Amino acid sequence: MATYNKDKVEKALSCPLNRRKFLKGLLAAGVLAGVPGGLLRAVASEAGIVYEGDYQVFRNACPRNCYDTCSIKTFVKDGVVQFIEGAPESSFTDGALCVKGFSYPRRIYSPDRVKYPMLQVGRGSGKWRRISWDDALNRIAQKILEIKKKDDSLLGLGLTKYSGNFGITNYGVEGMMSSLGYTTRFVGTPCWPAGIDAQNYDMGNMWCNDPEDMVDARYIILWGANPAWCSVHSMKFITAAQERGAKVLCIDPVFTQTAAKSDEYWQVKTGEDGALALGMCRHLLDRGMYDKQFVSEHATGWEDFAAYLKSNITVEWAAKKSGIPAAEIVRTAEEFAQAKPATIWIGYGLQRHVNGGATVRAIDALVAMSGNIGKVGGGARYGHLFTWGFNYHALVQKQPEGSKGYLGQTGPKGEFDTGQGAKPAKYSDRAVNINQTARMILEAKEPPLRMLWASCKNVFSQDFDLNMMKKAFEKLEMVVVVDQFFNQTVEHADIVLPVTTLFEEWTENVSYWHYWLSINEQAIKPMFESKSNIEIASMLSAKMNSLSPGSCTFPTKIDTKKWMEKEFNAGIYKLFGISSWQDLKKGPVKAKLASSASWSGLKFATPSKKYEFKSELCATHGHKALPEYMDGRKPYGPYRLLTPHSKFNIHSQFQNLDWMEEFNSEPYVYLNPALAKEKGISDGDMVKVSSKVGQMTIKAMITDNVPPDTLLMYEAWFNKNPYNVQALVDDTPADMGKYKTGAPGVAIHDQFADIARA
Amino acid sequence: MSKKQLGFFVDVKRCIGCFSCAMACKNQYHQEKEVVWRQVYPVSEEIYPHRQSAWLSLACNHCQNPTCLKVCPVKAYFKRDKDGVVVHEQDKCIGCGNCIRSCPYGAPRYNPVAKKAEKCSLCWQRLDAGLKPACVQGCPAKALQLVDVNQFADPEAVQYIAGFPKFAALNPSVRFRAPSQPRVIRR
Amino acid sequence: MVIKDFSLVLFTMLGQMAVGLAIMAALRPQTAEGPSEGKLKTHWLVAGCLLVAGLIASFFHLGHPGGSVLTLTHLSNSWLSREVLAFGVFGALLAATWLTLLKSGTGSLLGRIAAAVGIIAVLVSGMVYAPPGFPALNNISPLVLFLLTAFILGSALASYFADDKLQPTLTMVLAVSLIVGLVINLLLPSMWLAGNKAAQMTGQNFLSSGWFWARIVLEFVIPLVALAAMKKIAVWVPVLVVFGELVGRIMFFGSVVHSAATIGGLQ
Repeated sequence: MATYNKDKVEKALSCPLNRRKFLKGLLAAGVLAGVPGGLLRAVASEAGIVYEGDYQVFRNACPRNCYDTCSIKTFVKDGVVQFIEGAPESSFTDGALCVKGFSYPRRIYSPDRVKYPMLQVGRGSGKWRRISWDDALNRIAQKILEIKKKDDSLLGLGLTKYSGNFGITNYGVEGMMSSLGYTTRFVGTPCWPAGIDAQNYDMGNMWCNDPEDMVDARYIILWGANPAWCSVHSMKFITAAQERGAKVLCIDPVFTQTAAKSDEYWQVKTGEDGALALGMCRHLLDRGMYDKQFVSEHATGWEDFAAYLKSNITVEWAAKKSGIPAAEIVRTAEEFAQAKPATIWIGYGLQRHVNGGATVRAIDALVAMSGNIGKVGGGARYGHLFTWGFNYHALVQKQPEGSKGYLGQTGPKGEFDTGQGAKPAKYSDRAVNINQTARMILEAKEPPLRMLWASCKNVFSQDFDLNMMKKAFEKLEMVVVVDQFFNQTVEHADIVLPVTTLFEEWTENVSYWHYWLSINEQAIKPMFESKSNIEIASMLSAKMNSLSPGSCTFPTKIDTKKWMEKEFNAGIYKLFGISSWQDLKKGPVKAKLASSASWSGLKFATPSKKYEFKSELCATHGHKALPEYMDGRKPYGPYRLLTPHSKFNIHSQFQNLDWMEEFNSEPYVYLNPALAKEKGISDGDMVKVSSKVGQMTIKAMITDNVPPDTLLMYEAWFNKNPYNVQALVDDTPADMGKYKTGAPGVAIHDQFADIARA
Repeated sequence: MSKKQLGFFVDVKRCIGCFSCAMACKNQYHQEKEVVWRQVYPVSEEIYPHRQSAWLSLACNHCQNPTCLKVCPVKAYFKRDKDGVVVHEQDKCIGCGNCIRSCPYGAPRYNPVAKKAEKCSLCWQRLDAGLKPACVQGCPAKALQLVDVNQFADPEAVQYIAGFPKFAALNPSVRFRAPSQPRVIRR
Repeated sequence: MVIKDFSLVLFTMLGQMAVGLAIMAALRPQTAEGPSEGKLKTHWLVAGCLLVAGLIASFFHLGHPGGSVLTLTHLSNSWLSREVLAFGVFGALLAATWLTLLKSGTGSLLGRIAAAVGIIAVLVSGMVYAPPGFPALNNISPLVLFLLTAFILGSALASYFADDKLQPTLTMVLAVSLIVGLVINLLLPSMWLAGNKAAQMTGQNFLSSGWFWARIVLEFVIPLVALAAMKKIAVWVPVLVVFGELVGRIMFFGSVVHSAATIGGLQ
């Protein structure tokens, strides 16, 4: 890693002022790693010298909330990351990253990065002043102690954290909170909870096939998912299946990039996917084209489901609801049932509806009755947590002696909560719904929420109802954000603490889609004064204990590399067939699976140990026992508003980088030519989109990729741009999610708005 | 036995327009702002009837008769004998802009900081080290390949695809496979 | 149009003005005697100064002007190398002609050679600005337009340095050049509309441009009417003509569509 060579630096600086030589000199001295601000441009474009060999190679993994969780090879010279590649050892990553991953070299050295702890003098003023870590931690610690004194608990301190960084050691943030006492936790997940519950009701767990076995599918339905944008590495397996003669059908309200790559595309009416699936089920039932052995020997409730279909569902009804002609439904159902194997990729967008869970149950049922569960190349693919069995050593911390907290709430704190550390205690954390963050902050009382710690989460960009959020933040006495850029949440913070990128910390990573494990080595020294989340925790603990001994149990001195090591256990080693984490330095390793198919033994984890078409548990939780049709949300505006994900960013990350702006410069609202004509809107016009939640002014792009009754905007954070889709999205819950993730999901795509020329 | 001429095979059918190739190049070379060596162009709706759904990923085509090489007054370009790669020697460049004006594919770009032209040189240093070009390596959909156009015999491959200007005199060393369209069922 | 390109506007215009003046000077008796003597010397001097100004302007086009000597390296293939050589030789001949005039009062042979080399330089220049990258111009049109510039500006400006004996010739040359220029400048955009996409877009740019039509009127229509009426080059005519040429040259560099701008669309 970087070493400081005084002579080399002086030599570099005394060179005649030639920028290339100057930077080369600094590189040689390894000084760039510590140079502040303006000098920190990317390495000069030297078309003459671009690949020199003799790099130090490190192994990293992209810790973002993405199916693909790429394994990365990092090429370092003179303590500077020169370029990165995808790891060739992983057959999933297979040597390539994505447009976001490849922008990492710019992200590390971006002049916009938060470099030091900063204090905003007057929240929202933009007047930031640099403070020392000691000063920052002192202010934070004093506030925490003040809250403890005032409320006799730390329930006034809240943590909101989600998927900004999935490196396992980052669960140390939750650990840090526990080590302080019982606090308020924003639990649940905006991502995928309804579908998780649905799959748990049906099969007893969310557990998908190895995505690499899609090559063996004969029929693939990509339903409410857009892998061409959101799981680019999966596309090669889908293409391979097509080349072998498989048929690919894409069902989506919008004609996506994935639709263009498919053999067939259905423009389903948003939120009516459940009707469509049930229509197909009814037809297969009528034709007897279902796996009779499976439904009788490996499932329960089939008779009831069949009876429901016969009394309530017809293909004509499904056609009317979904907008897909009956003849197509019939033909496709039969093709699907006859293809062996057939599989459905159930997307997350599909379940971000008030009827999301019910929809997933209906699609599960279609896959199940067609006999495709437990088949290589088959399955109802959604996600898995099969490879996530780490120690969560960073997560599991003890509350200080005598801590007081919340009485009487149990339940998981999110989908990754494995229940470890949940010893039966008199007190607990106060769990509030992350999907209604603004509302929760406003409503919290006895005690109110006084202080918020946000890490791995951009509240303003990702949580719903922007106007409500602004009001909610006014209630908070102190807001501390741990982040890399001055994003929209940081704009509303009192203190921002600079955090490391993946290249500057030790951790390990797995995926919720593929089955590979990666080590994430610290490749370079942390830039400026950035610290990893667990370092911040240990530093806070030291400060807390210096002010009030015993007030924090988090170890005050940690070796972050050892903490990475401490996450590994025998179970992980056995699953991946390695003897030590050191093996991962040679490259990522794949789990040794008995079969690429989940549920290959057809032994389900439900109460009945069978696939449950009829789930009593589901009914107990307030839903229907059968995967019955559930109505969508009634429109409260003239046009549906969809705010899905773009290929150029992972939520509020990456789009802000200038490298990304070169390929995607500004946000748009997308609308159909017929709607545009009606409103007198031309391509490129500025328009106003408004809903009961809020409004925004934005440029229009006209395309028939979007149906005439729909408006489309991609969620993203553009640098120095107030664009924020949450200004238009409310926090209405999805039906399911509380069972396995602690809170219901949110109907992100059940939003409605109007549009007019600005 | 014909000479080896390296070039890109752009499989527009596989390509998902993800821009990984474009960013892989930036990741490798850290070009100045707005200096883009590989651009991913959307195919117009007149050609592919779904907006921004088909893409042409283009860098330098390493033409058999490169106009950049021909028009450069200071001989800052040379074409490698062993593989036909057209290399720009930026040290010799005086930034006259003639190659930029001349290349109909927009491959050479002006670097306003160095005040010189620059372009994709097919990652020749990586090639010489036995590695793939950064963009080819970086494509997750396996839609961008490096081929010897004098040997490449894919029956579906064409030299000129709709949306790609034809300049036969230059003889660009690039091949394409056309995209396909799905059957579309709308409400 | 990029700022960088404006130096090319200046270089090509000033260089062609110099060539035009050289051609007009070569048309007249090359003996400087009597009252014509001063005007003839001034004529060549102005030609020389315009060329020098043009060359200086061209330096601003280079990212690294210090390397400009190296531009002679690729005479075998590069029209740009050849243009540098041609204008270099032309410049040398201009200087030699003027010096000879100063010394001995006669520069007729050298003057004619200078004019001839000047014409060659303009032809070479026409090839430089006809690259494949600009389909509308990837033909002999730049060459024709540059020659027209030389003759139009040369004859118009020469009227300031010519005595009465030469004026009718200059008037004739200007009138014919303007007529040819008018026809060509009206034809070209229409022809472009029948070309490929880049050429079509260029044609549309020109025909829909207020500057284009203003130039047609200011540089061609009004001066032609004035020439026909007055049978001589009025003192304000060269002003209009220079302005018109400037507008035309700016459009030449700024409104012609590069082929790369059409990638992705129907060609």
